Amino acid sequence: MSVFGRQMRWVRRTIIALLCIALWELAFRVGLLNPIIFGAPSLVAQAAMSDGLQFLQAFQVTLVEIALAALIACVGGVVCGVLLGAIPIAAITATPILSGIIAIPLVILYPVFVVWFGIGPPSKVVYGAAIAFFPIVLTTMLGVRSVDPSFALMAAAMGAPRWRVLVSVMVPLALPAMIAGLRIGLAFIIISVVQGEMVASYDGLGFWISYHRTIFNTGHVYLGIILTLILAGALNEILSRLERRYSGWHVQTQPSL
Amino acid sequence: MRDEVRMSPEIIVSNAVSRSFGSFTAIDKVSLTVREGQFITIVGPSGCGKSTLLQILAGLVAPSDGEVQIDGERLNGPRPDKIGMVFQEPLLLPWKTAAENVEFPLLLRHVAANQRRERSLTLLDLVGLAGSVDKYPHQLSGGMKQRVAIARGLVQNPRIVLMDEPFAALDEQTRSRMWGELLRIWERTHATILFVTHGLLEAIYLADTVLVMGTNPGRIIAHIDVPLPRPRTYDMIGSVEAGQLRNHIWELVASGQ
Repeated sequence: MSVFGRQMRWVRRTIIALLCIALWELAFRVGLLNPIIFGAPSLVAQAAMSDGLQFLQAFQVTLVEIALAALIACVGGVVCGVLLGAIPIAAITATPILSGIIAIPLVILYPVFVVWFGIGPPSKVVYGAAIAFFPIVLTTMLGVRSVDPSFALMAAAMGAPRWRVLVSVMVPLALPAMIAGLRIGLAFIIISVVQGEMVASYDGLGFWISYHRTIFNTGHVYLGIILTLILAGALNEILSRLERRYSGWHVQTQPSL
Repeated sequence: MRDEVRMSPEIIVSNAVSRSFGSFTAIDKVSLTVREGQFITIVGPSGCGKSTLLQILAGLVAPSDGEVQIDGERLNGPRPDKIGMVFQEPLLLPWKTAAENVEFPLLLRHVAANQRRERSLTLLDLVGLAGSVDKYPHQLSGGMKQRVAIARGLVQNPRIVLMDEPFAALDEQTRSRMWGELLRIWERTHATILFVTHGLLEAIYLADTVLVMGTNPGRIIAHIDVPLPRPRTYDMIGSVEAGQLRNHIWELVASGQ
């Protein structure tokens, strides 16, 4: 798509977003929406300006928790997944174990994480990382395993030692599958971190949303929801850029529709 | 046998090479001697171990019994400096250009970038792809991709080139054009070529000697010298001589099952 086309897309999106906000505010002004239940853009703006921009503190806490959890889960998950994928017997052994762990609703362990790591950010980081780690390991491992083994044979025939076959051929070929796994993992992290904050914590966007809900600060609640959505959107955008940058060849080799 | 190869040194010697996988014997006591500069094709029914034999000669698979000598040296693993390899699929790395794919074996040996480029340009020119140096695999046709794979197999100037059904995935017209190309490249490089194929006419058209393999267990059942003069021309495929030879080989292949 041309630069012009991309700009046009952003203009279109902004116009649609502004229209939605205007409709929301209009419905509130004419008395169609109960502000206690549905809030309103002006109430959200008021909430943002109150208490000396206190929401930024909550936003920052959640951002750091998500970033740390993502770092641990992605680095750990990709390294473990690649190593498991490289050793057939390990992959065969690990697949049912990983599938089993992924089937466990790890939320049941959250109270234990709070006991172990406290009510502050560390328990959210561990919870988010734990939830994302296993799907990332599994998709990375299956990604490496699904690469045509003839590529490994080719690289070995060209004189590549085993580690080089893995690093220079198998991992790059598995990259599209790996990024799909990271996408799932990051979505899990956002859900679990915010949810963890709602259940037991003293800061962060999840705490902000649930705390203000109990005292009927609907403007604050919607502000928290919007900030969380912005966070999720930003993470998704980063992933899409990574995908275009490092596995653009994958998209190009797909048959065009 | 042509006069110029009758006296040339023995470059590949396999001594009673066997390979079994569990209780299945893929290759049973295969002994063969290939002289430098020969063009040998190997035919046989599916499952006769043609590919396994080629992989043993490439040092990719260790024989269970017997030994392979290349240039009088015992083969203990891949020798990319002496043996180039071309597979049935092009196996090009999709994020690398044609030239970068050809350079891949040199990259593995830490050859300087300018020397790599010089070599890949020479080779791409040899296979008739001088105009597609910077194209990516998804921009190339099937025949062009296989030419890149051939250039990659030749880039280290190997004295032996092993080809595992390299034209099997191409359409009939492209395939017959590639025969002429391959013979031209063979004459220019003076390499020794071992070429596995299912096509009997392909085997006859290209080879000095056709090795016929039988199955259960995989073994060589006949050496057939091809009396057609060189240079070969496409119309020789339709000659009575070639037809009789094909019938003879067909009977051998059928009896070897």
